[in-house]
Amino acid sequence: MSTGPRVVGQRLPRLDAPGKVTGTAVYAADFALPGMLHGKVLRSREAHARLLGVDAARARTLPGVRAVITAADVPDVRYGGALKDETVFARDKVRYVGQPVAAVAATTREAAEAALAAIDVAYEPLPAVFDVEAALAPGAPLIHEAWPTYTAIPILHREGNVCNRARIVAGDVERGFVEADRVFEHRFRTGMVHQGYTEPRAAVAVWDTSGQVTVWSNTQLPFEIQNTLAEILALPPSKIRVIVPGIGGGFGGKLRVGVEHFAALLARRAGRPVKIVTTCEEELTAAYPRQSTRVELKTGVTRDGRITAKAGRIWFDTGAFAGSGPGVASVATLVLAGPYRIPNLLIEGYAVYTNKTNCGSFRAPSGPQANFAVESQMDMIADALGLDPLDFRLKNIVREGDEGPTGQVLTAVGLEECLRRAAAAIGWADRRPTADRGKGLACGWWTTTGGSSGVYVKLNPDGTVALNTGAAEIGTAALTGAAQVLAEDLGVDLADISVVSADTFATPFDFGAQGSRTAFAVGNACRAAAADLRRQLCALAAAQWGVAAETLTVRDKHVVGDGKRIALVELARLSQASGGGLIAHGTFIAPPTAYDAKRVEAHVYPAFHSPSFHAHAVDLSVDRETGEVTLHRYVVAQDVGFAMNPTYIEGQIEGGVAQGLGQALSEEIVYEGGRVLNPNLTDYKMPTTLDLPRVESILVEHPSPVGPYGAKGVGEPPNIEPPAAVANAVAAAVGVRVTTLPITAEKVALALSGEATP
Amino acid sequence: MSRLALSLRINGETHEVLTAPHRTLLDVLRDDLGLTGTKENCLEAECGVCTVLLDGRAVNACILLAAQCRGRDIVTIEGLASGGELHPLQRAFVERGAVQCGYCIPGMILSAKAYLEECPEASEDGIREALAGNLCRCTGYQKITEAVATAARELYGGRTTQ
Ligand code: FES
Ligand code: FES
Repeated sequence: MSTGPRVVGQRLPRLDAPGKVTGTAVYAADFALPGMLHGKVLRSREAHARLLGVDAARARTLPGVRAVITAADVPDVRYGGALKDETVFARDKVRYVGQPVAAVAATTREAAEAALAAIDVAYEPLPAVFDVEAALAPGAPLIHEAWPTYTAIPILHREGNVCNRARIVAGDVERGFVEADRVFEHRFRTGMVHQGYTEPRAAVAVWDTSGQVTVWSNTQLPFEIQNTLAEILALPPSKIRVIVPGIGGGFGGKLRVGVEHFAALLARRAGRPVKIVTTCEEELTAAYPRQSTRVELKTGVTRDGRITAKAGRIWFDTGAFAGSGPGVASVATLVLAGPYRIPNLLIEGYAVYTNKTNCGSFRAPSGPQANFAVESQMDMIADALGLDPLDFRLKNIVREGDEGPTGQVLTAVGLEECLRRAAAAIGWADRRPTADRGKGLACGWWTTTGGSSGVYVKLNPDGTVALNTGAAEIGTAALTGAAQVLAEDLGVDLADISVVSADTFATPFDFGAQGSRTAFAVGNACRAAAADLRRQLCALAAAQWGVAAETLTVRDKHVVGDGKRIALVELARLSQASGGGLIAHGTFIAPPTAYDAKRVEAHVYPAFHSPSFHAHAVDLSVDRETGEVTLHRYVVAQDVGFAMNPTYIEGQIEGGVAQGLGQALSEEIVYEGGRVLNPNLTDYKMPTTLDLPRVESILVEHPSPVGPYGAKGVGEPPNIEPPAAVANAVAAAVGVRVTTLPITAEKVALALSGEATP
Repeated sequence: MSRLALSLRINGETHEVLTAPHRTLLDVLRDDLGLTGTKENCLEAECGVCTVLLDGRAVNACILLAAQCRGRDIVTIEGLASGGELHPLQRAFVERGAVQCGYCIPGMILSAKAYLEECPEASEDGIREALAGNLCRCTGYQKITEAVATAARELYGGRTTQ
């Protein structure tokens, strides 16, 4: 490729846009099969209770009902990620309001609902715990009495209601506090929030006569669902085909099995296809939301603003099952250490069981919670020392070649540039421009998740190219980004690429659309496949011409060299006539990131791969009467390595900031006595068009040595800093510091009136 | 169960459907007629993914009984592109990068269409007001409002302010 890039780095429209704007793109919730039944799940009404009996006899006799299943009808297996503590239905006891107890399939949704109402469940309530403090109190009821017998990855540190305690230890934190001139201690809390994807979780399952089940689902991880279903159904994975037709958003909420297992079990029992779509109430009471947290931070600083030591602890309320908790508690320690040079660290992340819904992963899991604490405290310390918060950060941030908290050597560190450019764009010099108006900054770092990706790339008869990937397109345009890489490397146009994706039988393995990895990993697999296909094309042309293949190159939809050229379409014809067509296989696995293993304990995620760095800045006003916050401007400077398609990276930034501002200002799943008080979209308040400012994106490019064309993961980071940036701006505007999320108008007004520390 | 025979005019075509009286327009569109471009989510008029045009006005099909739509003019997302040509709103959504997962997009486009027909001199505030009932979790709305402004300029000339 002699000239500059033609396809990568360009603002090209995503490949799947036309289907989405015309309503012809099919999503899992749209998917239907002839003779399909409708499934529904009966959920526990008790937070913690012995299950005395589930009587489904009456439900089975109702008109239209074709299958009713309870724990008695399904294999007695425990499944899960790092820790296998879940069952399909509650067995001896229920552990949260919303836990599945039974499921039915009927000819209509109404008949299925009537059947649920006809199932009698007898409970004997048990003492319950609804927050981390209660769960950790001496003598607290155990959520899982049999926890020592559960299967778990061996490194987890578990004890009673704690299902992991991950730790980073570096230097000598006590000595670091002695060296400090001032030591600051603060506490923070954050609320439980939902991913808020607009398409509910949905699955359609059907069995064939050979005992194979096919499931169409809007999962982000078809290969993980294949394995989970294999465990649950006690079948080999080769009997389970998972296909993702289309996904209406995921943000981490569609990583783990949602309704696929119920659809498969009901379909097997009924002998007909079964579809299940979750309701809004199920989403807000029994999905995989972001954990609420408590955080304690103790930071030692010299008079001139150098951080000497940090001790931090974060407790995740992971709900009744571990879900993503053990991993999230690990990742959190890296966020809590922050993108700062701190010689002495003791950071702990705890995942704690309570009688609430099972929490999971939400875009940058642990990021916003831990960053809110770290970056709020940075401003609190700067204020106390009389330092400018930007200067205080610049004194302590990591730079090229520095060590991360676990000893990884950091490269392509664009943090200083991000901070300076975000600050300049927001007009940092004028931090409090008028009364009750203020500006806030926050910065952070994040990972580009590893895991492997494979692609097949096939030359079509017309000289265009099919990209076959196991990754699902969840909305980020990551597969358009990967297709741009492929088009670039094959000398074709983006419009020449068609994508087939996410079918566990037909597509190669992919670790899945998670962790900001899709464009990065699939893009790299495309580079490998393109190199292979170019070799094959050149060999074919070389054989035609009787020249050495090494003298030929692929350019502009042709193989050229030796003074000749031949079009890809002609090579496609030749290859089909002689050799079964051309297919290339490309794979990628992110190289491991070296770290100091002595610094970590019970840690599932000890280093950030190809880390990204970012800074956010917001300009807002606070109404002193009502406490209401009005957002004027929002700036993000994000080190993306290389901007594969600036339009969709801006889209990730704008959308991630919107979600982050929701968590900052209005969103919270509110529990009282184990019940969700706001399981609807009127009371669970996500931002609308009227709530958001314009977001200005500054794309900083410090190329990753391993990313395709230098790209780093971009999807999750924009979600991390908004809560801290807002908290810092509110403090700048009116001088009150809110240390809990969300920063509601009520909390701000109370703090302004001096009535309570929120 | 009693059934109603309804004649519904959808995207300029008349459909005869036989349906239980409690079923919504959304049920009939998606389940009976296979018009799944109209999406479903909350079913409580809170998210807007089910937006269709009823006599030119944007409405939530999830809370509208099919029987209420007799003799009225219904437009769904499938009725917008004509002869293989995208509607200017659809084209602007594609070109401005306003589409991510796309699940909210049919509803967004129809709300925008109703608004532009009423207010061809569209302003950014007006667009945001008009789309306030359509939740999008992917985009932060910025490129969506830009796309609507772009389409307004194309449809009604250079009057749109941004
Ligand atoms: S599905 Fe109709 S408004 Fe949400
Ligand atoms: S594009 Fe995904 S909800 Fe709007």
